[in-house]
This record gives sequence, C-alpha cells and structure tokens, in this order.
Amino acid sequence: MSTNNSKMRLMKGDITNTEIEAFVFYARPDLQLGSGFGGAITVRGGASIQEELKQYGEVKVGDAVITSAGKMKAKYIIHAVGPRFQEKDTESKLRTTTLNVLKLADQRGIRTLAMPAMGVGFYGVPLDISAQVTLSMVKEYLRSKTGLEEVVFCVLDNREYNSFYAQLAKLGQK
Amino acid sequence: MSDSPARSQKAQKVLERFAKKLNRQMVGSLLACVHCGMCTDACHYVLANPGDPTFAPAYKADQVRRIFKRHFDWTGRVFPWWVKAKSVYSDDDLEQLKDIIFGKCTNCRRCSINCPMGVDFATFNRMARGLLVSVGVMPEGVAVASKDQWELGNQMGVLREDYLETLDWVSEELRQELGDPNAGIPIDVMNCDVVYAINPREIKYDPRTIADAAKIFHLAGENWTMPSEGWDMTNFGLFSGDDDLGGAVARRLYDKVEELRGKKLVISECGHGYRSTRCEGQNWGGVDVDFEMESSVITMLRYIKEGRIRIDPFKNNKSYTYHDSCNNARSCGLFEEPRELLQIVCNDFREMYPNRAENYCCTGGGGAMSMSEYSAQRLKSAKIKADQLKATGAKVVVTSCHNCVDGLTDLIRYYKLGMEVMQLVNLVANAAIVKEKVTAALP
Repeated sequence: MSTNNSKMRLMKGDITNTEIEAFVFYARPDLQLGSGFGGAITVRGGASIQEELKQYGEVKVGDAVITSAGKMKAKYIIHAVGPRFQEKDTESKLRTTTLNVLKLADQRGIRTLAMPAMGVGFYGVPLDISAQVTLSMVKEYLRSKTGLEEVVFCVLDNREYNSFYAQLAKLGQK
Repeated sequence: MSDSPARSQKAQKVLERFAKKLNRQMVGSLLACVHCGMCTDACHYVLANPGDPTFAPAYKADQVRRIFKRHFDWTGRVFPWWVKAKSVYSDDDLEQLKDIIFGKCTNCRRCSINCPMGVDFATFNRMARGLLVSVGVMPEGVAVASKDQWELGNQMGVLREDYLETLDWVSEELRQELGDPNAGIPIDVMNCDVVYAINPREIKYDPRTIADAAKIFHLAGENWTMPSEGWDMTNFGLFSGDDDLGGAVARRLYDKVEELRGKKLVISECGHGYRSTRCEGQNWGGVDVDFEMESSVITMLRYIKEGRIRIDPFKNNKSYTYHDSCNNARSCGLFEEPRELLQIVCNDFREMYPNRAENYCCTGGGGAMSMSEYSAQRLKSAKIKADQLKATGAKVVVTSCHNCVDGLTDLIRYYKLGMEVMQLVNLVANAAIVKEKVTAALP
C-alpha cells in the first residue's frame, strides 16, 4: 500500500533476520533483551547491544530508544516499550508507542523500518487490536512529512499475516 | 454482597478471564469435589510429603475453587463464610496462587483418573495457570520458554540457521555411518508420505535422537522430510495454560505440513508434544487437519511388523524398564505400543509397578523442569519415582518423552541410582540390522 511517497508492506518472517535499515523490538521497561527475539538479537547481534542499552536505564511504557544492531543485517534496533499483559489503556498506550517509534525513526533519518505485530503473542495484546492500531497509526503518520520511505510489517505466521492482511485491505478501501 | 478491598488491575483481569474459561467440564470439576481424599494417595507430592496437607490435590484445587465459589457459584456469593469462598485482590494473592498451581503440581493427571467424582484437577489447574500467565504472573522459566516459542517458533530459542546446520551435520554423519551417499535428512520435500517433527531439545542437547530417527527412516525406505520451519511439535501452551500460544504453535506445524502436502505427520518421542499436537492443538487452534498424525513409536513398530526394518535384539544387551510419560499414557492412551516395541528390540524387559495409566510422573512434567525456583520440592517429591525405578532392578529406564528424559536423569543423579535413560528410537536404531553392501565384479 502506498501513502504519499511512502509504502507499507506486509511480510512473513523473522524480523531479526531481515534485510532492513532498522527494526522494532518490543521491549521490557528494564530493557533486558531476554528470550524470544531478544535472544536472537543477542546471538546474532552480539553482547554490545545489551551494553548500549545500559545508558537508558528503565524506560516508561510508550517510549522508545535506539541502539545499533551489532552484527545483524539491520543497522539499528528501535526498542519500544509497549503495553503488556492486559494493563490499563492498552490501546492508547500502543498508539503512543507506535507514534514514538515512528518519530524516533525519523529523527535518526531511517528510511526503511520493520515492525512486528506489536505486543501480540507473549505480551497478550489482541491480534486484531494490534493490527488495527499500528496499521492505522503508520498510515496516518506516512501522510505527514516524513523521511520514512517504507514501513514493513514483519509478522510470524499465517494467523498474524491473515489478520494484518485483512486490516490492511480495510485501510486500502478508506 | 460486595468485595470491600480495592482490587488490583491484574486480579480484576484474572476474574474477568476466569468467567470466560468456564465451561461444563470445568464447572463440573469445580463443583463435584466431596473431599473424599482419594486423590491424596494418587499424588507423588503428597506421598513424598506426608505431613504437609497443602500438597493434597483437593487442597490445591480448593485454592482455585474458592475463587470460583466467591464469584460464580450462588452459595459463595451469598454465604462466602460458609463455603470458604474467597476472592483475589492483590498481586500478592496471585503470587501465592502461582506457587501452588505451578510449584506444587505437574499436571500429571494421576489424581484426575483416581477421582471417583470425575474431578479433573489438572485441567482446571492448567486453566488457572493460563489466567495468571495472561497477566504476566508466572515463573521466570515459563516466561522464557513461552516467549521463545511465540517469537522464534520453538521453546528453546533455537535459531533457524542452527537448526539447519545441525540437520546438515547429522546427515553427513549418517552418510558416513551407513556408507551410503543417499542417506541423510531431506528438508522441505513436497508430497512426502511422512513429515517428521521434533522437540527442540533434540537440536540443542540430544541430536543423536535425530540421527537415530533418520537412520530408521532411511533403512525403512521411507519417503520422508523434515520442515525447515514450523518444525517444533512441542507446545509450551500445554504447560502454561495459554490456549492462544497452544493454538498458534499447533497451527504453525499444521500449516507447514499442509504447505508441504505431507500425507502424515510423525511426531518424535515426546509426551506433551504428542498430546498437544495430536489431541489438543486442533481445539486450541480452532482448525481441522486433513492429514494423519502418529507417534514415532507407532511408526517404528509398524516398520518392524511390515518387515521394512529388521531387528537384532541382542544388540541391546542390558536390562530395561519402561517409564510411561503422563501425557502419552494417561492423556492419550499410548502405553501398549511402546512396551510391544521395547520387547522386540531387547531381551531383558522388566515391568515397572504401578504402570501404564497408573504410572507415576517423572516429576519433571507440566513444565516443572523450567521452574528452577521449585527444584528442591520437585526433587523431594521425586523420591516416589526413584523408589519405583530402583525396585525394577533394571540398568536402563526407557521412555518416550524428552521431558521425562530430563526429569528422570535429574532424579537418578540426585538419588544416585546409577541408571541410564534412553528412548525407544535409540534402541531401535541400535538394534536395526544394516545390510552389508555386497560388491562383486561382473564376470
């Protein structure tokens, strides 16, 4: 889907192993990389990424910080601390988190960015809410003046893909 | 009657989700207990801790039941003091509940099958685990494994390149062992008769089981393949109670088999993987599948019966006993086939008592091996299993479950039993007769 001069794209794969300038990691407030994608970042990118994160300390929900991507294919990782485990105001916090990710990417002059299904899975954000909130936020953002040329939604499986695809189709009709 | 103390966000969400999880089976189990005590003698935690009533399944169940009564049963809503109904209010209440439902039960279902009232405590204990997981209250090990499985597609955080590299060197070794350039592990081959899915433990800690399975498939002349992704047949959703994870993981594997147009999914020896993939996954995922699914135990037994592989039982020359995985035996009825297979591939089989559906848990089930904070009480409760193993007099305990391999290995070390733990695939591969290649010069 194209918006102004920017594109939104949907793909299936491992976001930590994608050819892209920057990708988003859905992080914990203490910024410990932990398991899951965090483990993949540590193994593929190296221990320097966790070291870089030390400068930020604890981060509040909604905020995002940036590090290099170590030895990974991407150049940067945006660590976004979104809502988790049915906490209050999940939807509005997810909106804030998404917006802060996009702003941070712009500040750093990033042109291509990959985002996961934000908060879906382990952190329990419902798939339809994640798809609806993040896709509409990104579409709206790309209408404004931005250096972002492409935002790729990199999802894990058919279940996530189908939900995001359906939402993307809805947005395309608007 | 209103609950007076303020309720935390997490406690509130637990109650809201509790209401959604109630179905006839669940409510039946929550209401039917008459506190007869039959479950008490069935539980290895109780037997190893006779002086501590908090290990009794009925007591543990009551910690969930009292919440049910307080909010969903009229007696508890009207007379909470009479029926000991009590709600949860704080995050501390949830932490206390966590230590019971994760730390004092392996969801082995031995109490369930011994309950005269049909109370399936393990089922609602799993449900209660899911309630806590949904608000982020869980043992650290459960969080680690769940996140790995959600995000990397397997519960041990194995990366795609490591998986493929392991299969590659296993193939190379197999070619060398058999002296056959055609031996090896076919990856992502379409239209195969068998798609073989494994436990990530096999990649990370025990690749010999993959090598053994590959050898058996090769000797049987099977048209088989392994998937490059969606290959994990385990499912931490069974342990954590997270049905969403359960459904997502099962669907990834089903989707891959369908994408490869495989005729049959063969599940390597893993109790919870077998139960999750074959018996529960379709319900969690809300899907039907068009292909067959079977345990590799049945596959191996069939190859022998069909004469596709020949066996020399004298190659397995120790004494062997068989430990039933709870998920295989109690939840899926898979207990005769492994015994039949074991007695074909060895000459000295010694039965364990009690056995089959009444066998005791390895004490590492229900994800207990990942919960290091409860290791001390797990190993104490393992005394029952240790005594059972010792009484067989066997040198080797065979099991069809990777989780049981770890649980048994740990308790054997702790109680200094000096036994070895093996799986059927190891014994079948060892006893399989490899035809010598005969090369003769043409006249």
